[in-house]
Amino acid sequence: MMVPSGSLGSWETKKIVSNMFPLLVVLCAIVLIAGITLEDAEEMLNEYGILAVMVPTMVDMGGNLGAILSSRLSTRFHLGTTELDPKDKVLWANVAAILALAATIFTALAVGAYLLGAFLGFGLPLVTLLTISLISGMSVAVIAIVFSFAATYASYRLGIDPDDTTIPIVTNVVDVFGMVIFIGVSAIVLGL
Amino acid sequence: MPIRDEFASIYREALPILLIALGGGLFAGLVLEGILESVERFPGLLVMVPVFLATRGNVYGALGGRISSGLHQGLIPPKLEKSERLVNAVLASFINGIGISIVIGILTWLALFILGWESAALIEFVAIMFIAGVLTSFVLIFGLLALIFAGYKYGYDPDNLVGPIVTTLGDIFGMLFLLFSIGIVEAVMG
Repeated sequence: MMVPSGSLGSWETKKIVSNMFPLLVVLCAIVLIAGITLEDAEEMLNEYGILAVMVPTMVDMGGNLGAILSSRLSTRFHLGTTELDPKDKVLWANVAAILALAATIFTALAVGAYLLGAFLGFGLPLVTLLTISLISGMSVAVIAIVFSFAATYASYRLGIDPDDTTIPIVTNVVDVFGMVIFIGVSAIVLGL
Repeated sequence: MPIRDEFASIYREALPILLIALGGGLFAGLVLEGILESVERFPGLLVMVPVFLATRGNVYGALGGRISSGLHQGLIPPKLEKSERLVNAVLASFINGIGISIVIGILTWLALFILGWESAALIEFVAIMFIAGVLTSFVLIFGLLALIFAGYKYGYDPDNLVGPIVTTLGDIFGMLFLLFSIGIVEAVMG
């Protein structure tokens, strides 16, 4: 296995903090866009509480899918097993698996939210929740796939270890898309 | 490896982890729904929520990645005992986690100010983030370490444990402590 260089190679408190803190601030500034989107949608969330229940999953899941794909891609690059060739069937198997995972999870999210909503008495019809969850979820999954490929390939070309910076940046950017798309799709589907 | 096997193996490996994360996410969502009621008292509060949650993943995901690399390389002992490297890494995570929480409070206030939106006082945002940040740090750092070491002992690759542990614990405890700290600040500041 590869011995991590850069921030991971150090076990000094001061060095870990000074390596990581600036990146954390940049990531905060990126995700702030998601926060502003959420704040802006407060009225809709107050009216449809079940949407608020779906928010953390919508925000996290795109990033999770991106992280799974990115780390698989970066492992393949480390092992030297791939160039980005559209004819490479294994790459397509990865993409298909991510899309299948997204379809499963976002269906489960809609069903979970429906059951919670029915139980707590502030639900929306299952079809509405499925429409919102799957349209926004699958869009985020596609964005996560595109960003993971672009970022892993770029950091490979630039000689940066993707584990250090690329994966956090991809997951946070995709989180922002998750929020913006979810709020936008919800507003359209609910006719607001 | 045949393509179909590759597809099936990725799906099978990732699905349980993602379903656990979904459970944590739905619970966090229920807490968020409760937090909506406090928004009137602290306008702009919602801006902090996604940033606070994302930061938990960034800080403690990094700690988990570091610990699991350290275990693989034999740099740290596979149990909770005093090792200088472990203490340093844990201390760095406390500083990063609590420090960035304060930054979130400040950035949120600034963003609302620039947008010209209604906003709670800067000190209220910072106090809410500080209390939530400190409490979350303790639970996440020690919870993460305990679960990684326990998993390692029973033969699980820590690399596969870190992501789901951080997402799930981060969502659940992050939102619970946020709700708690909003309550404290509301009680103190009136």
